Amino acid sequence: MSLRRFIVPMSAFAVQGCAGLQSALDPSGAEAERIGTLTWLLIIFSTAILVAVCVITAVALFGGERWRARISGERTVIGGGLAFPILALSILLGYGFYLMAPGSTSARVEGGLRIEVVGERWWWRVTYVDESGRRTESANEIRLPVGRPVELELTSADVIHSLWVPRLAGKLDMIPGRTNVLTLEATEPGISRGQCAEYCGGPHAFMSFYVIAMPEDQFSSWLSGEAEDALAASRDQAAGQALFLSSGCVACHRVRGTDAQGTIGPDLTHVGSRHSLAAATLENDVAAFVRWIREGQHVKPENLMPPFEIFTEDELRQLAAYLDQLR
Amino acid sequence: MDLRNLHWTNIAKVAGLGTGLLIVLGAVFVWSGIYNVAASKDHLQITTWILTLIRERSIATHSFKIEVPALDDESKIRLGASHYEGGCVPCHNRPGEEINSIVKGMLPPPPNLLEIGKHRPPEEIFWIVKHGLKYTGMPAWTNVLRDDEVWALTAFLASLPATAGDYGELAGLSRGQGNAREEPANGRALNVCVRCHERDGMSTNGDRVPRLAGMPEAYLLRSLQEYAQGTRASGVMEPVADLLSEEAMRELAAHYQALPPVAGTAEPDPEQLRRGEAIARRGIVGQGVPACLSCHSGRQSQQFPVLAGQNAAYIEEQIRLWRRGGRIGTPYGRIMAAVAGALDEGQIEDVAAYLASLPAGRAPDAPVAEAGR
Repeated sequence: MSLRRFIVPMSAFAVQGCAGLQSALDPSGAEAERIGTLTWLLIIFSTAILVAVCVITAVALFGGERWRARISGERTVIGGGLAFPILALSILLGYGFYLMAPGSTSARVEGGLRIEVVGERWWWRVTYVDESGRRTESANEIRLPVGRPVELELTSADVIHSLWVPRLAGKLDMIPGRTNVLTLEATEPGISRGQCAEYCGGPHAFMSFYVIAMPEDQFSSWLSGEAEDALAASRDQAAGQALFLSSGCVACHRVRGTDAQGTIGPDLTHVGSRHSLAAATLENDVAAFVRWIREGQHVKPENLMPPFEIFTEDELRQLAAYLDQLR
Repeated sequence: MDLRNLHWTNIAKVAGLGTGLLIVLGAVFVWSGIYNVAASKDHLQITTWILTLIRERSIATHSFKIEVPALDDESKIRLGASHYEGGCVPCHNRPGEEINSIVKGMLPPPPNLLEIGKHRPPEEIFWIVKHGLKYTGMPAWTNVLRDDEVWALTAFLASLPATAGDYGELAGLSRGQGNAREEPANGRALNVCVRCHERDGMSTNGDRVPRLAGMPEAYLLRSLQEYAQGTRASGVMEPVADLLSEEAMRELAAHYQALPPVAGTAEPDPEQLRRGEAIARRGIVGQGVPACLSCHSGRQSQQFPVLAGQNAAYIEEQIRLWRRGGRIGTPYGRIMAAVAGALDEGQIEDVAAYLASLPAGRAPDAPVAEAGR
């Protein structure tokens, strides 16, 4: 009775976990689809073996004399205990190698779009390097063209992180002083969620990001927009911009096209256009900017941005409105 | 009664009666008010002896583990002497001068400290200055975070009696009593800013005192308010700011902003300047240290102090204070805490030397936070 009361809600959670932005069982990328295929194959195969073993056990316990004699014979032991496992596992292993091989660096596209992703405590520095070698820095969000394999060059600025977008591919570690290459190929437009999959200190659980797969033409127009400098602040935003430039924000953050040239923290040139703030910790709106600036240490404890409790409510709103319109 | 066959219950009865009697007598003694607490009447000799013994043993034991930093530093002695003039003179008087007849009536009377440097090792002086002494009228330091200030006063006391002759000069008395504006209404010795800070044409009294000339008014006013509220810890400045009215604080802040800075005299080595310049203008990206001048060049918020031309020893000591957690009482201090925590000792010295070498109040015009990658 109590077991049932426990299992029903838990299984509801489990079913929930299979759908959504961060589920390996709901793939939308080439590698994740292959992983999905392999996963289902293994699950079905293992289930079949389990059922077979249960049946044989039942026969051994309750079956007739003739059946029991048959399964205790040497042929059953050699066939079912040696030949079958060796054969079945070898086939599965071979199939696994065959299936997962295209996910390796063999798919390298010379001169194509590359994305450098640097794991930082506790956010992602994302730099797009396009066909012409132009570099566009962004943060905490990765955009991909649908149907084109894109190389992600992964490294870390401090400790070991790991990049995992379950809907698109398996995970790959980001190791200081080393570059690992992960190829992502989105098969349909949409949003997936990824996160750091290697414990990297206090706010590790808040080190996430969104991956947005876009049709090719939308992606290229987005990338050229992203490469632009920030628009000049309108008159309404002038007060917010002045606060941003004079209160120390620029020591760590860059907004291209202004005097803000800091490189310690995330590039904020187009921060208003991203799907989240603080590495997918908060929604992206004016209220979230206010919260992050004033009480970032409560929202994401131990993150490396110092608390800025120096602003009045009005100043905070001006500053947040300025950041929000950086699109 | 046969003593050899004394039963334990009898012993207990006698002991119990005796204890009861003592408690009753004690209670009668306390409640009757027979004991004379008047300071006009000295203790019994035995009481004086016991009190002295307990005090000396306590000081020796508690100061046993204290490690003494270098104290033969003129700027420490100057800072210590200047604070002595405001904080200690009211009771102990200036070294060698007799204590005044009012405080002489205290029991025990505050000792004249002329020979203190000979009698007591520095760690004992430090411990007494920091913690004060119960039942003597000797107060503890205003806060427990500022060991650096306590060591400055210790340096001065430990240098006695050799420095007694220069006291007037060390404590800034010879720098004048200030003009009407600098001397707030009550005119107490404590509040003569010019004994430590700049005055027309004169630099600070030693390089542990911050230079204020040309600092943004908003920053100076905020600092005075934070000292007065006790959110910025300083045994030297809190008592000074406590006595200032809001009006006086505003006047002083405006006065120092308008005061023309005096050129510094620092001569650091060029290699150190080069290292310091890199930190001040570009930061250390890998360590998460932003460029100092992206906030402190004078072109940003008026709430940020300008560090160009500030005394190196003052900058170093403040960064160390941040690293010890001594400046997290204010919102502005909490921002800087993240930066100070990322610097190591060598970098602190380099960057302080560079900032001190800049022309007072003027930072280089070039864009400060260049791309670090």
